[in-house]
Parts: sequence; structure tokens; C-alpha cells
Amino acid sequence: MAEPAIKRSDESNKIVDEGIDKGIARLTPKKIEQVINKVLAAETGARLKTYVGTCVHCGLCSEACHYYLSHDNDPKFSPAGKVKQTIWEILKKKGKVDQKFIRDASRIAYTECNLCRRCAMYCPFGIDIAYLISIVRRLCHMLGVTPLYQQDTAHSHSATLNQMWVKEDEWTDSLFWQEEEAQDEIPDLRIPVEKEGAEIFYSVIAPEPKFRAQLIYQAAVIMNVAGVDFTMPATPGWDNSDLCMFTGDYEVMGRLKKAHFETAMRLKVKRIVMGECGHAFRSVYDVGNRWLAWKMPPIPVTHAVEFYYELLKEGRIKIAEKYDKPVTFQDPCNIVRGRGLHDKARYVVDALCEEFIEMHPNREHNYCCCAGGGVINAGPPYKMKRIEGNKIKAEQLFAAKTRGAKVVIAPCHNCHGGLEDIIHHFGLDMELHFLGDIIYKIMEKPV
Amino acid sequence: MGKRTLIIYMVITLLVCIFAVMSGYSQEDVTTVEDSAFEEKMRPTVQFLHDEHNEAAEIEEECNVCHHVYEEGKKVEDESSEETECSECHTLNKGDNPLSLVKVYHLQCKGCHQKKKAGPIMCSECHPR
Amino acid sequence: MHDIYNFVSGPLVWVSFIIFFGGSLYRLISMAVLAKKKDVIVYEYMSLKYGLRSILHWITPFGTVKWRKNPILTIVTFTFHICLIFIPIFLSAHIILWKESWDISWWYISDTTADVLAVVVIASCVFFLIRRIVLPEVKYLTSVSDYIILAIVAAPFITGFWTYHQWPGFKIMGIIHILSGEIMLAAIPCTRLIHMVFFPFTRGYMGSEFGAVRHAKDW
Repeated sequence: MAEPAIKRSDESNKIVDEGIDKGIARLTPKKIEQVINKVLAAETGARLKTYVGTCVHCGLCSEACHYYLSHDNDPKFSPAGKVKQTIWEILKKKGKVDQKFIRDASRIAYTECNLCRRCAMYCPFGIDIAYLISIVRRLCHMLGVTPLYQQDTAHSHSATLNQMWVKEDEWTDSLFWQEEEAQDEIPDLRIPVEKEGAEIFYSVIAPEPKFRAQLIYQAAVIMNVAGVDFTMPATPGWDNSDLCMFTGDYEVMGRLKKAHFETAMRLKVKRIVMGECGHAFRSVYDVGNRWLAWKMPPIPVTHAVEFYYELLKEGRIKIAEKYDKPVTFQDPCNIVRGRGLHDKARYVVDALCEEFIEMHPNREHNYCCCAGGGVINAGPPYKMKRIEGNKIKAEQLFAAKTRGAKVVIAPCHNCHGGLEDIIHHFGLDMELHFLGDIIYKIMEKPV
Repeated sequence: MGKRTLIIYMVITLLVCIFAVMSGYSQEDVTTVEDSAFEEKMRPTVQFLHDEHNEAAEIEEECNVCHHVYEEGKKVEDESSEETECSECHTLNKGDNPLSLVKVYHLQCKGCHQKKKAGPIMCSECHPR
Repeated sequence: MHDIYNFVSGPLVWVSFIIFFGGSLYRLISMAVLAKKKDVIVYEYMSLKYGLRSILHWITPFGTVKWRKNPILTIVTFTFHICLIFIPIFLSAHIILWKESWDISWWYISDTTADVLAVVVIASCVFFLIRRIVLPEVKYLTSVSDYIILAIVAAPFITGFWTYHQWPGFKIMGIIHILSGEIMLAAIPCTRLIHMVFFPFTRGYMGSEFGAVRHAKDW
């Protein structure tokens, strides 16, 4: 049973990734040792030491990990197994590891862990394994050994403050374009750009203007119908996404979040409402703000799921006719384990849909989509590995399907991308939607 | 009753008394450490051959090494307490922790053994199965 | 024999207790100081309420999804850890020694109870050993030190059981028993057995992050 799994991981070792391979070629053992020890001394302390000193090697975290479960319980994919292959070894050898080791560590940290934090709920000690893997990523980033496609998004962030190389005029053009499109449906609809003093700054991730522009359209319709006083900025800082958080480029992460918060301040809004994205929420609410020394975000941040909850609860949008296909719901790690929005999400789903079928496990215990944590951004070389690395998700979806679910709702871009591939690859034949898709479809609109 | 009969009776009584006292004093049959204050025993009774112990310890003449008498916190050198159960002085009132009496016994035996570096000191050496 | 006994039951007891308490205190303080210097985040987010909430769930048998999913392991690990701490503290033979040295004593369990519980601990150690050898995910994480730690923990119970039952060589075993108990105490601050001391902090911190910041459960 373990045989094919090990084979598969050997195959994944053969994946050619220029970002990693060329990065490795520039290294020497001496440089590796220097960088590792410098970073560990400067940036780690009691948490790393305590976590490593406390772990009793019990293996109880294993069953938390979708990689482990999807690779026929191959111990190399267990959370502690990945820690053993990376940071334990680095600490044990005091940074004296070779290029091959860094290559493997990079592969493990960037493409075999989504930092979904499910394992923290299975380790009796609450050891933050995602944090340990993040340290490995930070080391790899400092060594210049990052997956090519992921690094490209980080470069884009650095150069443009958005993830997708969207130029400033392209951004505003996209907004005006979607405004015009939507005005065909609702003539007085506006997407107010640069409206100082608006109540809400609606922020999205760069893939929305780049290739999911209909999401901006739908959001504009929802906002306008609900009579929300919102605005979107014309300047960089509009993108809330953050792949630098995942490559380990915390300096750029800090720049991104600073730009985002400062844009909100400049527009004098009361709060930021974000689209249906999980990792961006993690960055704005949990990680990026901390790098900038904000204990909590300097301005309230509301995720779309919570925002829809408010709109429905307050009756600001009304449902014309409930969505009639049976749905199931994917709990995204970053807004469920990361913000506890599972109950509000269920309120929204119940308000929108005739029939809701739970996946099992669900809520905080839901399996990761295997796309988040930057893994989907590591790009085509890892696509099959990512999909096959989440067989368990396919089984989970299939079980929901056998109980009648025809539609999967995933209120997170990464989950969306991950599930789309899984549904397709495993032939699950289920529809996949954002909550916004469904709200837009069934809400009462002015005729 | 004639005078002679009386004398015979008296002699017999005396002999019985002497015998009784003698047998009381002779320690031949002391083979265990017992104390009526221990109502239930947690460990088996300690086997203790009094004379052999004293011979080995060279304290045959000094009863009060163990059977001591204390007055006002000071050991009275020329008195001894062979006829007294330990618990008569080291009293155990109702509800008292029996460990305080256990402690007295242990220190008496084990304490001395440790000091003299002779004799048993570990639990099971004295309390056999 | 007397010299050895006097040594292991005298100065060595002091040494082991000093290493245990002093070492654990040192580990705790150095962790706290290092955290203040390098992980000030921990102080910022640590929450008594949510930390305790998480700890309480995790120290309750079947109080978490993880415990419920692995009932046998849960039963074994809970009984093992409870007995591990309970037996040495409430064993009458130990209390008598406290009474003799310090004139202090407390409630104790009967020897028969202790005997049964010791078997439970030894059996649990065997369970953990088998788990380490048999389960691939545990075996993969296992190093020699894990076996040594397990042996350190099992030794006082095996030797204590041996001595109590007066099996052959029980006198030597009695000495080894005392020594192994001391080794275990002293090993706590020096090995991963420190998890005993750190548990409330690692779990409490994760509980705080999940509860206070992320408004989610971590069990």
C-alpha cells in the first residue's frame, strides 16, 4: 500500500522547477550555513525552540494532513514528517546542510504543505506546524530557492503591489468596464472609484480584474442593490492578496499590507470589505498586520462571507427565489480556522439555498483544498502533484455528492482553484460556485 | 490444712511464679516485631530473632539501646522499657495517622542499621512476601 | 550496599529534585525571557480565557475530535499519564520515606491498588513501544532518543514492581529502582519529557490564537 505512494513522491522529486534548480545552483554549503544561521538567530526564538523541544514524535498530527491521507498514509507527508525532513535536520546539523537538502526542503515547504493549520488541532500540544514550515520557507526565500511561478507573483507584488502584473490603468479600466457592463442590467449602477469618506473600501485580489472580472461585476450589483456606500481605489493598494507571505518574503509582505491599509486610511473609509478570498484575509487580518506591528488590523476588516451575512440578516438584499440545486459547502481554512466564519457561512447558505448538504468533516475540521498556502501559485509543474495530493478531498466531495449535493460552494479563490481541478480530474461532475455567484443569480434586482 | 501441706503449696506457687517470670524474661520465643496498636497490616509482619540480633549487634547487655526510656526529651541511661509496647509511649490515638508509629519503628530499626551500616534497610528486606 | 543505599536515597534524591525543579524552572524562565526578546507576539496574544478553554478540552478524555477519533490511544494515554504522576506521589512506601525524613505525610493508596496501576503503566509503555515500532507514521519520526526516553519512564515502574514482589535480585533492583526514579526526574528538564512542563504554554498559546484572534475552536 505504501509502495505507490513512495513512487509518487519520487516522481515529484523529478519535477523540474527553474526557480528552485537555478537557485540551488547559486548556492554553496558555506553560504547555506551562513544564511540559515543568520536568519534563525535573527528571527526565531522561544516558539521554535519550545515547539521542537516539546514534540514527542507521537505522530498524532498525521491524520490531520490531507497530503498524508491522500498518499496512502505515507509518513513522509505527515506534518511532523515534513518537519523532520526540514527544520529538525537543519537544527540538528546547525545549518550545515547541502544543496540537495535545500532543494528537498524547498519542495516540501512550498509544495507539500498548504499551511492550513489543521494539524494544530490534532497535535495535543498545539504545536504550530504551519509556523515551523513557514520558517523553512523563510530560509528558502533568503537562500533564493523558491518555485518559479510563485516567485513570479512575488516579483509582481514587489513591482506593482499586485499579484498579477496589473498596470494602474488596466485596473481602473477593468473597473469602468465592469461598471459599464453592469449598467446594462442596472442603469444607475456605479462603481465609485476614489470616493473619499465612503463607508467601505471593497478590496479584491488581482486575479479578479485579470481573469475573473465578472466577480467585480457581481459584487457591484450586490453593493448597489443593497445600497452600500462603497468605493474602490484607483491607486496601487487595491489588491489585498499576498503571495509574499507564502514565499517568505516578509519585507514585501509588509509593503503590501502597508499600502493596503494606507489606501483605506487615505480614502477615510470605516472598514475594508474583502472579496471571497482566504489567503488575502489571512494576510490582512492575521499575518501582514503583525509584521507591521499591528496587533489587530488598524482598520476593521470584513470578509465577504461575513459581509453577505450582514446584508442578508439586515434584509438589505432579498432573495427572489431560493437556489434550487442541492449544495455543499467548502470551509476555507483561512476564514474558518482563521476567523471562525463557519456558522455565518451556514446562515448565508441556508438563506440562499433550498437544500444544504454538509461535507464531512466540516467547519474547523474540514480538509484543506490543497491549493492555498501558495501551492496553486507554484504553478503548472506541480499541478498533478497538487491534485493527486488531495485524493481525500475528492472522496469527501464524492461522499457529499452521493448524498445529493450537486453544487459545491467555495467562498475562497484558492479553494475554488483547487476544487475546480479536483472535480475535473476525478470526474466528480459537480458545479462549483462562489457565494457571490449564487447571491447575484437569485437576489431581487430592480427591474 | 496441715503446716506441711501449706509449705508444699507455697513452694509450688513460688516455683510456678519463678517459672512464669523466668519464661517471661527469657527471650527465646521473640521472633517477630508486633504491636497491638497496628490494627490492620499493610505489609507482612517483620521477622525478628531477638537474641540473634542482639548477639550480632553486640547489645545483649544493653536493653535500652532499643527499649529506651525518655524523660523530658532526654534518654534515661540506666532505665529500660522491655515490658512496654512501643505504642504505649508512642501513642496512637483514634484517628491518628498510623504512619507516625510506623515511622517510629522504622527509624528505630532502619535508622540504626543505616548508622551502623549493618542489617536490612530496604522495605522488602524486613517485610517479606 | 549500605553505602550505595545511603547515597542513592540521600544525596542523589536531593540532586534529582534540584535538577527537576531547578531545571524545569530554568527552562521555563529562559523560554519566557527568550519569548520576551524574540517572540513578543506570544505575550500579546496569550489569553487566559481562551488558553484555559483549549487546555481544558485537551486534558479531558474524549474532549477533542482527536481523542474521540482514537479511543484506544486516548484511554491508554490518559491512564498512563495519570498513573505516572499519581502512583509515585500516593504510594505508601514513598510516603513512609517522606514521613521518616520530613515528618510529613498524606493520603495514600493501598499496595494492591498501586500494584495494579503499576502494571497499567508498564503495559502502556509496551503499547507505546509497539506503536513506535509498528505504526509507520510514528516509526518514521522515531529516533534512538525516543526509545531511551520511553525506557527512562518505564524503568522506575518495572524495577519498583520487581522489588515489591521480591523477585530474584530484588535488593539490587531496589537500588536500581531508586536510581531510575531519580534519573527520570532529572531527565524531565533535560529531554523532551519537558513536554510535561511546556504543555500548558504551547496548548494555551494555540488556544489563545484560535480563540481570541481567529474565533475558532482548536480541538
